[in-house]
Amino acid sequence: MKNPLIKRIPRELKSEFGKQLAIFLFFVMVIGAVSGFIISADSMIKSYNDSFGDYAVEDGNFELRDKADSELLRSIEEEGKIKVYENFYKQEETGSFESKLRIYGERKEIDRVDIWEGSMPAAEDEIAIDRLYAENHKLEPGSTIKLDGKELKVCGIAALTDYSALFENPTDLMFDNDLFGVGVMSDAGFNALPDSHLHYIYSWHYNTKPADDAEAKTMSEELIKVIAPKAQLAGFIPEYANQAIVFTGNDMTGDRTSIIVFLYITVAILAFVFSITIDSTITAEAGVIGTLRASGYSRGEILRHYLIVPMMTLTAAAIVGNVLGYTLLEKFMAKAYLDSYSLTTYKVLFSADAFLYTTLVPMAIMLAINVITLMSKLKLSPLRFLRRDLSRRKKKKSFRLNTRIPIMIRFRLRIIFQNLPNYITLIIGSFLANAILLFGMIFEPMLVNYSDTVKENMLASDIYILKTDADTSVKSAEKGQMISLTSEVEGYVKEDIPIYGIKRDSRYLDFDHDTDGLIFSTAYQNKYKLDVGDTVTLHQQYGDKEYKLKVGGFYEYPATLAIFADADKFSELFADEDSMTMIFSDQKLDDIDSRNIAATITENDLTKTSRQLTRSMGSLMTIFLAFGIVMFMLVIYLLAKIIIERNAQSISMTKILGYTDREINGLYIRATTIVALGSIILTIPLANLLLDKVFEIVFRSFPGYFEYSVSPLLLLRAGLLGTGVYIMIALLLIRKVKRIKLAEALKNVE
Amino acid sequence: MFLELNSITKHFGEGESRVEVLRGIDLSVEKGEICVMLGPSGSGKSTLLNIIGGIDSADTGYIAINGEKTADMNEKELTRYRRKHLGYIFQQYNLIPNLNIKENIEVGAYLSDSPLEVDDILKTLGLYEHRHKLPNQLSGGQQQRTAIGRAIVKNPDILLCDEPTGALDYNTSKEILKLIAEINEKYGSTVIMVTHNDAIKNMADRVVKLRDGVIRKNYVNETKIAAADLEW
Repeated sequence: MKNPLIKRIPRELKSEFGKQLAIFLFFVMVIGAVSGFIISADSMIKSYNDSFGDYAVEDGNFELRDKADSELLRSIEEEGKIKVYENFYKQEETGSFESKLRIYGERKEIDRVDIWEGSMPAAEDEIAIDRLYAENHKLEPGSTIKLDGKELKVCGIAALTDYSALFENPTDLMFDNDLFGVGVMSDAGFNALPDSHLHYIYSWHYNTKPADDAEAKTMSEELIKVIAPKAQLAGFIPEYANQAIVFTGNDMTGDRTSIIVFLYITVAILAFVFSITIDSTITAEAGVIGTLRASGYSRGEILRHYLIVPMMTLTAAAIVGNVLGYTLLEKFMAKAYLDSYSLTTYKVLFSADAFLYTTLVPMAIMLAINVITLMSKLKLSPLRFLRRDLSRRKKKKSFRLNTRIPIMIRFRLRIIFQNLPNYITLIIGSFLANAILLFGMIFEPMLVNYSDTVKENMLASDIYILKTDADTSVKSAEKGQMISLTSEVEGYVKEDIPIYGIKRDSRYLDFDHDTDGLIFSTAYQNKYKLDVGDTVTLHQQYGDKEYKLKVGGFYEYPATLAIFADADKFSELFADEDSMTMIFSDQKLDDIDSRNIAATITENDLTKTSRQLTRSMGSLMTIFLAFGIVMFMLVIYLLAKIIIERNAQSISMTKILGYTDREINGLYIRATTIVALGSIILTIPLANLLLDKVFEIVFRSFPGYFEYSVSPLLLLRAGLLGTGVYIMIALLLIRKVKRIKLAEALKNVE
Repeated sequence: MFLELNSITKHFGEGESRVEVLRGIDLSVEKGEICVMLGPSGSGKSTLLNIIGGIDSADTGYIAINGEKTADMNEKELTRYRRKHLGYIFQQYNLIPNLNIKENIEVGAYLSDSPLEVDDILKTLGLYEHRHKLPNQLSGGQQQRTAIGRAIVKNPDILLCDEPTGALDYNTSKEILKLIAEINEKYGSTVIMVTHNDAIKNMADRVVKLRDGVIRKNYVNETKIAAADLEW
């Protein structure tokens, strides 16, 4: 015979339909989103990983100041044990809209191109351009684009596998697929473009592929020793350090891990909510359980009975969530990546991991937490259940409260202490929900603020780095010197640091030139937590020499890691280095030969981080916001509801005694209100600290610096939003209290 | 007349399962009387007590206390009625489990503009040394005394007792009954007590016997004895 208790399940589901539906929908939302994310991420990660072989992605590239002759290349190939390919590009400002387009010729043997739509260029005036750049500028096959006065026809929408993230410079903090794009032309078309911005890039494949990044690092260090003495290097970037190639893979893998951890935390919190719910049901049904146990029902049978509802809800949600994950949500999640990265074409693959992570593991978490909670309770003897004596300690003792405190306040305090486990879970849930909600709220204003700060603190509207010294007729322009050294600190990404030699009476930078040490940008100070007097070790980009630089002060420059030195001190310190001339200017310099410009730094370069993050993450923020609110509501409502249900008899008794609804709400709901609002006040600053720490740790893996800054007003707004959400919950709770019947107290509790 | 019940009827359920619980109850109780209601299970005595207490409503008829009719009252007024006039004692005590003994009594005191002194009540009830304990640390008798303390601290006009000794042993039951009689004497509260125990009628001023929702007997007890002398 089937266990007759099973007949209670549909009735239980029916009696708590609203609650079960809310939990079900929440799980569907979380599991669906995570499953959709994992499926799309796994499919794309596979396609991305396969692209290295399928499209012969380079093992690295170096740039030479001048074109190498065949003899030089042969000797590099022989000594470096590599195969070198010309991979020249020309970078032009587009005439059609403000942006830079980097154009390559045909790529047959290395960094081959994947065509999403249209065809590869054949005619001299045809160009295939990157998909994201095309989307951002509403270009499609058949459109035209102006380049250096020449009109080109877009023949194809492409993905260049060495530009899955459109980093203009491999060491930039962030890519920018709006103001920077890549494209390919036929060799004839490429050669027909002017040579003014021609870059001599040589990409290589090792004869024997390195086994991992560590070996790739060793091999690249050996290779640079081969190339550096033979030619004048303008750049050297092995594949593992090239953000344009590796950023996408790192980001997708990192996101995948974060989102899975996030799922587990959510499930664990809800599992605790469930266990508290079940615990409260067991307390309410102690007499029934005692009778069943006394009649011969085993602990296991009772345990299984109380596990059915939460496990059923989760299983149903997992099924629906996974179906949604594979259908609607996969496309939605994929869009977030496709909007950020220039990925090659991909196919949606079945992911066993998605099933494991979104279904089996959450079920295991839910099962484990509930079994542990229930077993500890069900260990009690049937007699204890029959006597409704379920407390662990033999007799629960009362602690004293000062009798001078008015009775209503003491009453409220007792309610809070009585429901401490609920309230602790509520605070933890609220903390997580607030962190998500805050993230959704702060992201965009923070980027705007970052962008504004960057603009306000620019050294000059244009900074030119020249290949060789040159003069300008612009009177306000100011020359200085610059070198780049490399910072390699454990736990942080390896990055190039520009050091500027600034003349004493500079009109662009005002700092103490006589200080003992060098002046570091505030971005540098904040990222590496520097103090005046600290010593920073940097080394040559393509050599072994180390520099120990003393921190003499800081300069308000929040966007970029940079070091400033008095011009004389600069010359003295870096006499052995091949420094470059740089020019600060508050206007565009037209009288400098563009072929002599190694790089320019403008407002657009400094604000690309905020632009790109807004573009790729902006739409996700609404989801974070909605998710945070729903989670906050669910956790608070479920736990507060349990508190009211647990105290239903006392509430009924206070009604009988003559307490008004207002007074009862003042006791039972205000206690929850105090904790809920207290948790908002407490957890929003904590969530802010958490996000600050997370941002700090995350951005250690990126070159440059992104300042986490949230205005107090925004925190206040987050608090007000939480309070608004709580008011809605409180109204539901008030309704619930009002519905408790006076007759509740008359129920036979024995 | 202090408490007046007029033509009270009440039913539960509908159709085939409809049960007429009270079939026209008329009853008058003088101020300061102890009125004991007796009757077998299902006779309607607890339902009648609940209607007097404003916890339940009658289908027809009315209840008046000092001329104030409860049938005309809305929910707020009923709450005020309970707050002002009534003290309730249940078989299962219904103490608030997370408040200590003193606080449980203070919960009653809070409702009155001129409550009795809580510490005096604790002493009278023999609970003073237990005042910081939680209900689950006390015996059944002590818990019931606490419930009595909570009911009387606001000095109610009517003390409604629903099987107050139903869960207690003989000696404790007698103690509780003595206490109720003392309170009636000391504070002049009208006591309406519902019980199964036929012996308790002997301490009553008025005895009401119900069966099948009808008052079968209603008489003034001429041979009232002290609660301490009750035997069963």
